[in-house]
Amino acid sequence: MGPAESMVIIDEKEVIAMLEGAIARIREQNAYLSQLDSAVGDGDHGTTMLRVTNVIEKAIAECGAKPLAEFLSDIGWGLAGIDGGATGPLLGSLFLGMSEKVPTNAELNAEALSAMFEGGVAAIKKHTKAAIGDKTMMDALLPAVAGFRSAADAGSSARDCLEKAAQAAQQGAASTTNLVAKIGRAKNLGERSRGVQDPGATSVALMFEGFCEGLKKKEGESRG
Amino acid sequence: MKMKKFINQPENVVHELLEGYTQAYPKQVRLAGNYLVARTKPKAKGKVGIATLGGSGHEPGLSGFVGEGMLDISVPGEIFAAPGPPRCLEALKLADHGAGILFVVLNHAGDVLAASMTMEMARKAGLQVKQLLTHEDISSGPREKPEERRGLVGFLPVYKIAGAAAEEGQSLDQVYKVAGRMERNMRTLAVAVRTATHPSTGQEIFSLPDDEMEIGMGQHGEAGTGRMKLKTADETAGIMLQQLLDDLEVKAGEKLLVILNGAGATTLMELFIVFRSVKKMLAGKKIDVARSLVGEYITTQEQAGFQMFIARMDDELLRLWDAPCDTPYLTFR
Repeated sequence: MGPAESMVIIDEKEVIAMLEGAIARIREQNAYLSQLDSAVGDGDHGTTMLRVTNVIEKAIAECGAKPLAEFLSDIGWGLAGIDGGATGPLLGSLFLGMSEKVPTNAELNAEALSAMFEGGVAAIKKHTKAAIGDKTMMDALLPAVAGFRSAADAGSSARDCLEKAAQAAQQGAASTTNLVAKIGRAKNLGERSRGVQDPGATSVALMFEGFCEGLKKKEGESRG
Repeated sequence: MKMKKFINQPENVVHELLEGYTQAYPKQVRLAGNYLVARTKPKAKGKVGIATLGGSGHEPGLSGFVGEGMLDISVPGEIFAAPGPPRCLEALKLADHGAGILFVVLNHAGDVLAASMTMEMARKAGLQVKQLLTHEDISSGPREKPEERRGLVGFLPVYKIAGAAAEEGQSLDQVYKVAGRMERNMRTLAVAVRTATHPSTGQEIFSLPDDEMEIGMGQHGEAGTGRMKLKTADETAGIMLQQLLDDLEVKAGEKLLVILNGAGATTLMELFIVFRSVKKMLAGKKIDVARSLVGEYITTQEQAGFQMFIARMDDELLRLWDAPCDTPYLTFR
């Protein structure tokens, strides 16, 4: 670990590998997500996240030689169009925000990826006031992005940054179990929302786990 | 309570209801774009367009009020869920007749999120849009925090006032201003006595003991503030009306629009009896019921209960309220 590693460029194939990792992880766990959601919502979060994976998969299949920023923006707009609650628009904003921060030469190192994730969070924050402690996806997303940033600042490789981000996301998701929902439909349950891990935070944690696994797998293949 | 509904496959409910609705009222409404509900006879060029969004499952709200004198277009989402920004943007473009668009948004987290993203995309696309948030439910938040208050049946007078102002050629700023005045002068309080079932899952959306009612319950079973034993129509009306009058600070001599909106399973019989109580109480306070509506305008499936709505009306608001309109679920000649 050192300055050299953090400067290693990630190319589009590796971004795609990250996304494919997320798709796999979410699909694997989607029954669990719906189960969590039946306790605090109408039980469809797993189905919604499956639709999310379908949108991303389709964008990958159709990306051709599209520039990375456009690719991420297409994913963002596609996710925003998933009718069925806040999940689509929120994740859509994340990708739209990320697309706006793709460096002009599209060479991604840990620092560039960190800026992209922060751009994604900034985009979401334009549309929602949800903060840590409200029992939403932000309880996983904000720590994930902060974890990525501090690892990047410490000179870690993108893969190690994603590892830290995934851990922070998992901890964040787990921390939602004892929270009372303050925003979104679950807010209406008041105290009854305590005791179940938030489905939105859980799927964000799965997404970061998937990014991490996808990149590791790709790098493993490249080394051959 | 077991779900007992005339539907086909749950996943097709929204498309089938929209197809059936627009087929039943083809002179007034049609499907446009990706399952948007639009006016069959479009508004003249140069007039402000009025658009809205909201989850399905609340029929006739909101698409029931598309037509001359009210909405140009409505974006229906999945059951109880806000639609996505791309369809909302499509709707705004279709509602653009060259004089800008008023986008009426009922305050619920999903709708506000979708609208926020839509407004950003609309600005980037160069559309002239103003958003008006309705949030008149006194039970969902304190007076000092209107952003926490939900938007309930108050959408109806807002569409009516905005629609009339647009029809007579007022500018976007003028339409926004008068619709905003309507919004600030209205209050709603709901009561629920029996749950409904969700068409997709068949699950009850909340539970309530057999002999209790909940004052302040939201549009999707959101918890209210006052769970108590069921009272008579006069007692219930008294409790609810007093809270509304206090919140809106209504004084003797003022004129009100009163709407009683059935939640889906409460009979007109009951609503008329409640209205009588309201009228009697207001007469005692020398407050005039200038206009009234009793019926089902926004429901929650087969929920039993109702929303009580009052609005302070001035001459201008009354004039716009009385203007002609022609929609499947409200027609004034």
